[in-house]
Amino acid sequence: MDENKYLKISEINNYIKTLLDHDSFLNKIFLRGEISNFKNHTTGHLYFSLKDDSARINAVMFARDAQTLDFLPSDGMNVLVEGRISAYPAQGSYQIYVEKMVVDGLGALYIEYEKLKKRLNAEGLFAKDHKKAIPKYPEKIGVVTASTGAAVRDIMSTIKRRYPICEVILFPSLVQGDSAAPNIAKQIKRADEYGVDTIIVGRGGGSIEDLWAFNEEIVARAIYDCKTPIISAVGHEIDWTIADFVADLRAPTPTGAAEMAVPTIIDTNNMLDNLKIRLNKNIKNMVNTKFIALRNLKRSFVLKNPMAIYETKMQKFTNLVEQLKQNMKTFLNDKTNKYEKIKGSYILQNPFNIIEKKQNQYEMLVKTLKLVNPLNILEKGYSLVQINNNVIRDSEQVHIHDIIDIRFHQGEVKAEVKEIKNAKIKSKTSK
Amino acid sequence: MEKSFENALAELEGIVKELESGTVELDDAINKYTEAMQLAKFCNEKLNNATKKVNEILTDDNELKEFKVEDEG
Repeated sequence: MDENKYLKISEINNYIKTLLDHDSFLNKIFLRGEISNFKNHTTGHLYFSLKDDSARINAVMFARDAQTLDFLPSDGMNVLVEGRISAYPAQGSYQIYVEKMVVDGLGALYIEYEKLKKRLNAEGLFAKDHKKAIPKYPEKIGVVTASTGAAVRDIMSTIKRRYPICEVILFPSLVQGDSAAPNIAKQIKRADEYGVDTIIVGRGGGSIEDLWAFNEEIVARAIYDCKTPIISAVGHEIDWTIADFVADLRAPTPTGAAEMAVPTIIDTNNMLDNLKIRLNKNIKNMVNTKFIALRNLKRSFVLKNPMAIYETKMQKFTNLVEQLKQNMKTFLNDKTNKYEKIKGSYILQNPFNIIEKKQNQYEMLVKTLKLVNPLNILEKGYSLVQINNNVIRDSEQVHIHDIIDIRFHQGEVKAEVKEIKNAKIKSKTSK
Repeated sequence: MEKSFENALAELEGIVKELESGTVELDDAINKYTEAMQLAKFCNEKLNNATKKVNEILTDDNELKEFKVEDEG
């Protein structure tokens, strides 16, 4: 048997690498594709794959070239790259060594993600005031994730370790693939209806496609409608899914979610002890304070000198009586003064003066009356002539043969009209 | 229904704060103290004497079964 015809793996891999490296076409190649499985290694090298509808190729960009990038590559981004194709003999794989890379629009998934995020945000699904507080000391936790894998293991072991008195119930769900989203939504609803204190929903990290179920609207709405507080834990640290925005609390990893969901039993015990210490200290302080207050009261001046109260009151009473006496005296003096004043008044001293005054007034009036009496004029020799008790002032008032009365100062007569001289007519004719 | 640990702890904290505020009458304070000590006892029992809970899985047939977490590695 010719042993020499069998090659070592490294020999064939190296041979293929040589072939590729010598192909001038593959030495400078331009590709268009979408970034996926992006990893930013601590060395600064970037590892990812480029894909389109039907195929994918592994890609590496060394730190030296990556430093020239003016953007941060991430999963779902469409890019244009320039580089060379070569093989990695240790793995028997070929890949593109990217030297230059620019953004080629946004990846389709990324656009879809941004659109949904914007719409749900506008609708208020991420609103802070809709977020529920996570119970501090839950007794039952529901976990919605795959029944196998690191996520469920991390969550359950973390809770057991920190807070073993908490019951953990798994609501197993698909977390990847087309039916994952409706399945997750259904299990969230089940957990909510079953009655748990907190729900953790999530999965371990993966590519953007792997996590996609958590970017679906049906999951977002299930989380929003859930009455039980929900902690989301999808992927690793940097991946923010729509589910993370809707959840009441977002944990970077499944382990992180478990830590946020439960306290540690040691902390809880310490806190309880602390409360008991405070309680005892308090009641002791309170009793002490009251005791001291009581002792002080007992020692107080009044209790030691009960007569003091009486003395004070007595003093006050005496003062009041004195004051009353003084007031009474003033009052009486006032009234006496007033009386004396009235008694000494002029009118009371000379009551007849008023009568005399009134008599004088009367006499004055009589005199005045006499002066204005119409009959006084007769005394001087004038007479008053009347007809039927009317004073005659005009000859027209009488006719021939009328009887008229004439009154003198002393006595009166009746006379007959013999002749009338009409002064008016005369004066009329004279005009 | 049994009081939840969280509620009992919240009540306990409330009483401690109230007593610390110094606004409580002595008679009342002693009653509250007694109540608080009972709450603390209840919480302690919950923390220390509760049987370790097992992990469970709710199957599609609504059956609650023990769920074993596979060990790491």
